[in-house]
Amino acid sequence: MGSPHASTRPSVHPHSQNRSPARVLDTIRRRWYVTIPVAVVVGGVLIPLVYLLLRAFQADPGTLWDLVVRGRTLRLLWNTVGLTVGVLAGTSALALPLAWLTTRTALPGRKALTLLGVLPLAVPGYVMAYALMATTGEYGTLAQTLGLVVPRLSGYTGAWLALSLSTFPYLFLNLRTAFLGLDPSLEESAQALGRGRWRVFVQVVLPQLRPAFLSGGLLVALHVLGDFGVVSLMRYDTFSYALYIQYAASYDRIYAACLALMLLILTGAILLLEARLLKGLLFHRTESGTSRTAARYELGRGRWAGYAFALGVAGLSVVLPAGTVGYWMTDAAAGGVPWAGLGAALWDSVSASAPAAVLAALLALPVAYLGVRHPSPWTRVVERAAYLGYATPPLAFALALIVFSLGAVPFAYQTLALLVTAYALHFMAEAVGPVRSALYQAPPHLEEAARSLGRSPLGAFVSVTFPLVRRGLLVSMAFVFLSAMKELPLTFLLAPIGFETLALNTWSYAEEAMFGQAAPYALTIMFVSALFVGVLLLREQASERPAAAERT
Amino acid sequence: MKRLLSLSLVVTLVLSLLGCGGEQQDELVIYSGRSKALVDSLVQQYRQQADVPVRVRYGTDSQLLAALQEEGDQSPADVFWANTTGALGNAVNNGLLTELPDTLANRAARFTPSNQRWTPVTTRFRVLAYNSDAVSPEDLPDSVLDLPEHEEFEGRVGWTPAYSSFQDFVTALRVTEGAETARTWLSDMQALNPNSYTSNTPMVQALEAGEIDVALTNHYYVLRLKHGGAEGEYEGEEEEGEEHEEEHEEEATPRASAPVEMYHFADGDLGNLALVTGAGALQTSNQPDAANRFLRFLLSEQAQSFAATRVNEYPVVSGASVPDYLMPADEALKMSPEFDLQKLQNMEPTLDLLRDAGAL
Repeated sequence: MGSPHASTRPSVHPHSQNRSPARVLDTIRRRWYVTIPVAVVVGGVLIPLVYLLLRAFQADPGTLWDLVVRGRTLRLLWNTVGLTVGVLAGTSALALPLAWLTTRTALPGRKALTLLGVLPLAVPGYVMAYALMATTGEYGTLAQTLGLVVPRLSGYTGAWLALSLSTFPYLFLNLRTAFLGLDPSLEESAQALGRGRWRVFVQVVLPQLRPAFLSGGLLVALHVLGDFGVVSLMRYDTFSYALYIQYAASYDRIYAACLALMLLILTGAILLLEARLLKGLLFHRTESGTSRTAARYELGRGRWAGYAFALGVAGLSVVLPAGTVGYWMTDAAAGGVPWAGLGAALWDSVSASAPAAVLAALLALPVAYLGVRHPSPWTRVVERAAYLGYATPPLAFALALIVFSLGAVPFAYQTLALLVTAYALHFMAEAVGPVRSALYQAPPHLEEAARSLGRSPLGAFVSVTFPLVRRGLLVSMAFVFLSAMKELPLTFLLAPIGFETLALNTWSYAEEAMFGQAAPYALTIMFVSALFVGVLLLREQASERPAAAERT
Repeated sequence: MKRLLSLSLVVTLVLSLLGCGGEQQDELVIYSGRSKALVDSLVQQYRQQADVPVRVRYGTDSQLLAALQEEGDQSPADVFWANTTGALGNAVNNGLLTELPDTLANRAARFTPSNQRWTPVTTRFRVLAYNSDAVSPEDLPDSVLDLPEHEEFEGRVGWTPAYSSFQDFVTALRVTEGAETARTWLSDMQALNPNSYTSNTPMVQALEAGEIDVALTNHYYVLRLKHGGAEGEYEGEEEEGEEHEEEHEEEATPRASAPVEMYHFADGDLGNLALVTGAGALQTSNQPDAANRFLRFLLSEQAQSFAATRVNEYPVVSGASVPDYLMPADEALKMSPEFDLQKLQNMEPTLDLLRDAGAL
């Protein structure tokens, strides 16, 4: 994509000029080990799409037209877009300062703050919504403890707050990875040329964060588009809420399919927009020598503001939901903790989520690799396809997989393997972003050098590029694992019968207002997820250390 | 590293494929639209006395119906246990349910549909719940049809247009009073700018929290908020042993002092409509006898008393004990209009009405 307008781009990759179909075929032949997972991804995304089209075309066109073209559809569109934009702004306001604080400053305790910035991923969105609802209102915790009566959160404000608080880590982690991978030499040059700190940040640093902003923001946006737990509890009329109602309340799979297709079109528009914005951004280092970590700013007195911000965010996004669930727990303490059920549910959750995380990361790697190293319209379509799976409403996705698996692989129906595959295909978009960001920062010259020294393409990739993207892969797995732990609709329909995850138990009890019974399951989700995040961060530090050692 | 990961992944996938392969021949598979939280301990009781393994898939009525239809002939399910007449009627219309033997159908004759494709399991009543701090019952209308006239409730009414019991009520309104009356009622209600909830529990909590003043709901949601499921009152005289094990504390946190009360409209008003939950055996079942045994169990005194004491729903067979805070069944039935529940089968026109009114 040799468009000359991206002035920040230090180099144009030689492969990027090829566009002819012959070259593509040639690539496929030489890189078969890439094309197999890619075929799986595209297939996995196409199955639900075909299913939805089949169902939608079953409708009587006249009735359908009346259903689609009415004021309500427009309102849904307006609400959905409004909520998405709001949550994007909200998450940016939370994630950017936090990412900067934890990577570019010498703030003591920034490792702990990093953990606090990731932990909200351990809190299911619906738990966050329940917590916010329990805190506010005339009989809420705030009113009862502090006598502070705020209106009960609901509607746009409630959905916006709950979604911002529970999704900002996607952006935070992406920005953090980007901050850590930034080559300080550009900033230093700018500073040496007389730019002030603030202008350097705005003119040099921010533009370099664009890929991370885009991939993190895309995840946040798609999450908002697809979420039904929060919007249904907060009663905010979006597409996914309408869709949830269609599937949950009326027995009409056809109108639901139409709504799902409309949602997919909206998603497609967002994907196109992101692709346009991402075009031509390549930010790997080009100079010789190893990269250094940028100098950290001393905040001085400003550090108290830093702490206040970080702790405020953590208080709302982690302490509040954890505290609320803890409070439910004391409610149920008399009844005792159902250890046996808890253990079984934990095993069910982990045995589906962990393989799904690995599978998703393995599928995402070739997809992201193709997209970054061989950018062409074809590879972009493949990469976008991965995101479409994320945006396919999970209930529709599950129904499509029922039809497909019974038709094509009946022995796999209602097996754990099918559930794992469904999780992996659905959440793969979360895995693509971090790998892609990491690949952008891994110079292709290294791989080419390995090739010229006699390595095969695969060998060069494994020995050179893979270690560089390992951090990205770990983040990918973490994302998918955490999402799968919280997942509901796919699990409802695709899990082996009697397979009951922590999330299913939490939702089922909380829905009947048995918060005391829901509490142990919700706490276990949060605890296991938090533990997982902790281990992951430790690994990340371990992989940072050798680099630091090299420097000295 | 990558090779190791892929290897471990493949091993896991293969193991899981082998480990949980398909349905075993002799097990009873129940698709339950009734929530796990409400009925799981009843299923546990059945497991102890059943001669086949019992597995349950929990979901909502419509999710399970959608799954059943997509599964077609290959469905592993034996029993469909649903929350509403509408869902069961839909299953009948789609040819999913088999006809029940007379001995089963006659157990709860009052509510059994004449096609004998499913049996009622419990009864519940529509009520108007109100916040007793904000509303005095004397000010409430005699008929649910007059509710839209109460402009003081503008923005203070809760309803659940997506919830099956509410839709059953609208169907009843449409069938008895005509589609136009139903349409007018819905649009007049919409003019009150009601708060829509996806389910009743959060709505009743919102009522308690002062977010709304009145709410159209089912009677047991109010009782569950205030009394939970009755503790230790579970007495079945004939069966011994199981009924006194109280290890599962299944009640919601009860708050008898909560400012939420039930209002019943005048006797015979549609607002007091009695609705039933029910269950049927599926055409695709490879275990028809086991399916019927389970249905029989649901109508046993043990299960019926469970529904009354734990879920606060009314039994459909006589003789089951009812907690004392529950209005006697005869009295409640007298308030409900006489109504043939089979008329509730056709949901489509109701959904159209709700969509036209902008409620769905």
